[in-house]
Amino acid sequence: MLRVRAVFEKTGRSKYISHLDLNRCMLRTFRRSGLPIWYTEGFNPHPYYSFALALSLGFESRCEIMDFNITDDNMPMEEIRDRLNAVMPEGMGIVSVALQQQKITAITHADYSFTLETAVPEKLIADIEKLLAADEILIEKKTKKGIKTVDIKPDMQVIAFNANERGVEMKLRLPAGTQTNYNPTLFFEALKNAGAEPFEPACITRTAILCGDGSDFV
Amino acid sequence: MQLRDKIEKHLLSVQKPSRYIGGEVGSVIKDKSKVDVRFAFCFPDTYDIGMSHLGMKILYSLTNERENFWCERCYAPSEDFEAIMRENDIPLYALESLDPIKDFDFIGFTMQYELSYTNVLNMLDLAGIPVFSRDRTEELTQIVVAGGPCVCNPEPLADFFDIFILGEGEEVNLELMDLYWEMKQQGAKRIDFLRKAAQIDGIYVPQFYSFTYKEDGTIESVTASEGAPEVVQKRIIRDLDKVYYPENFVVPFTEIVHDRVSVEVLRGCIRGCRFCQAGFIYRPFREKHTDTICRETKCLCENTGYDEVSLASLSTSDHSEIDPMLTQLIEYTANERINLSLPSLRVDNFSESLLEKIKKVRKSGLTFAAEGGTQRLRDVINKNVSEDEIMNTCRIAFQGGYSAVKLYFMMGLPTETDEDIVGIADLAQRIVDLFYSIEDRPKGRGVQVSVSCATFVPKPFTPFQFEPQDTREMIEHKQKLLLDSVKTRKIKVSYHDPNVSQLEVILAKGDRRLCKAIYTAWKKGCKFDSWEEHYRFDKWLEAFADCGIDPSFYANRRFEYDEILPWDHLDYLVSKEFLIRENKTAHQSKTTPNCRQRCSGCGVNKKVGRECFC
Repeated sequence: MLRVRAVFEKTGRSKYISHLDLNRCMLRTFRRSGLPIWYTEGFNPHPYYSFALALSLGFESRCEIMDFNITDDNMPMEEIRDRLNAVMPEGMGIVSVALQQQKITAITHADYSFTLETAVPEKLIADIEKLLAADEILIEKKTKKGIKTVDIKPDMQVIAFNANERGVEMKLRLPAGTQTNYNPTLFFEALKNAGAEPFEPACITRTAILCGDGSDFV
Repeated sequence: MQLRDKIEKHLLSVQKPSRYIGGEVGSVIKDKSKVDVRFAFCFPDTYDIGMSHLGMKILYSLTNERENFWCERCYAPSEDFEAIMRENDIPLYALESLDPIKDFDFIGFTMQYELSYTNVLNMLDLAGIPVFSRDRTEELTQIVVAGGPCVCNPEPLADFFDIFILGEGEEVNLELMDLYWEMKQQGAKRIDFLRKAAQIDGIYVPQFYSFTYKEDGTIESVTASEGAPEVVQKRIIRDLDKVYYPENFVVPFTEIVHDRVSVEVLRGCIRGCRFCQAGFIYRPFREKHTDTICRETKCLCENTGYDEVSLASLSTSDHSEIDPMLTQLIEYTANERINLSLPSLRVDNFSESLLEKIKKVRKSGLTFAAEGGTQRLRDVINKNVSEDEIMNTCRIAFQGGYSAVKLYFMMGLPTETDEDIVGIADLAQRIVDLFYSIEDRPKGRGVQVSVSCATFVPKPFTPFQFEPQDTREMIEHKQKLLLDSVKTRKIKVSYHDPNVSQLEVILAKGDRRLCKAIYTAWKKGCKFDSWEEHYRFDKWLEAFADCGIDPSFYANRRFEYDEILPWDHLDYLVSKEFLIRENKTAHQSKTTPNCRQRCSGCGVNKKVGRECFC
């Protein structure tokens, strides 16, 4: 049995597929592909596959991770990729397929890029700089146990930050994985709470899923 | 801003946004510059419901097989998205191209139930298309058409549509589109096209027909003009094994009501239950062969990736090859880990071997339509099912490990008395007793008998088309009587809102004078009338009053045999003489054998020019 890890894109219209719907969508994609995917052996056998991280509705991604098992040990990775790509919905595509190397728990961070659309980018840039210069960035975060206040500043890393014709373009690195997950919307909220120039987040894209040492999760 | 950008700007603030953006696997994208005729296939309800409709899947694929035609899908937006659309000037658009449907050549609606009528008006309005046919452009574009079972009496919708398509659409839709393209190239006007279209069999152009009324409100005459035929006959497909069936469905991302492959196994019905419109308007009975059914099942499962398939028909167990068909199907589905579901089974030919086959695929509850509580009443409605058969079926089911049965009944049937209502409770009680009398019944669980009671709605082209509906007071009395007659919690009773059934009968049996009332009700805010949370009967009553219409004229009046009915100029192959004969037989509590046992002379075979069964 091959323990396979696929990296796939979710762009364009497919960003409106919710996580729950993505599950059903992949089930049908596997069935259309005719690949010999491994089924669970319980009372109600079903194809086994899992996603490393959930992606918020409306976010695009170039690096989603899906694990599954193939029962044919001799199947080339290229064939798995091509057969899935032949039957994927519009906007979704397998970037690469390889054997699983790391455990899911190795994931620590994810990178997001987005544009904050605004009329006067200079004003917003000043507001962002002010927020980033503060000692702490407190925000209320909903967790399973209830609402708690967290300081997102220590775990947040600004990778890129510049104005473009539509507003302010940014790239953030945020904690992700089994321990802590920060969604870029937390940052938007903090910015709004700080009374920043009005803006609309657009083109939010997850660009990388990373391990502790900053390398791509594979 | 491009329409797509406008849509996307707001999509994340609505429920289930994937319903509004297309891009599903199986959806057909074409280059619009290379397409001659564009057809917006509209379902007047939300995506989740409309996407489940099999007829639309068939006609969508069929039209798109033609290189120069492009058929796209369009559904009614939910309230949240409609508000955003109106606020931001987003016109109703088709899901494939995201282009506004007002620019399409055809805007086609499928009319599946009366309570979707106001949604048609709302969708036209959202699209920016004039709601009334008479207000549309003189140019040849934006032709608004409708098909589906409700157009067997299209009169309440006559003012809103340019064309009604009667019967099965697989051939006539393409004929209509071909004619359109031919005339479009010649620079014809809308009226020229409608005149010519009216000459195609199965095409009814309502504006070419005028009605006069007698003093008592009944119809005096119907007159055809512009060379349109006096009587328009519905279309049928002769050979189901040769008719087009899609090899692919659009596979939605969000869950829809019937989220599975549907394979049609037969059309029409041999039974002749006197209340059932589908049983008459879809005649003659035609089957697909087992091989065709299996081939279509396999093909659709492979192309869509669905792991569930359901057999669609009015009565699947009436297929002459049901046993070998299921054996062959289950061989495939079990091997591929596909669920097979079989709705529409009948009580009287439910065999042990059939149960064994169903059990292999799924163990859910069993549902049976008994329809009437006493044998006398079941004879009146020609539901040829005896209590022995019901009991026998339940016994087989209980012995086979089932402990829940659901029974469908109707309330307010012609000749019904209190005794028939008490009979429903008695029958359910005897099923409960039967369960406990069986030695090898399922252990550890109690029995659950669910009784679901709908209010009877007399429909056109049935022997009960002449019948009045019970008034709301009568129905409420019967509902209370039923509840009082049930003595155990093992029997659960549910029933419909009689106000909803009353609107259904008015719209089903209404004439052209109702158009104004539908328009007024919609203007007052009525839409999604089939949704309990949106239904506003008070607004409807206001609308009827504003238009000077007495609802009871349509709902609670007996239509005379010699009266000109609003649908008498439409020919659904079943003769009026037959319907009258059946109505009289019903009132004598006598049954009519099914079509396989003996031909009852409904007239279909004469018109089609061949025997239904050889």
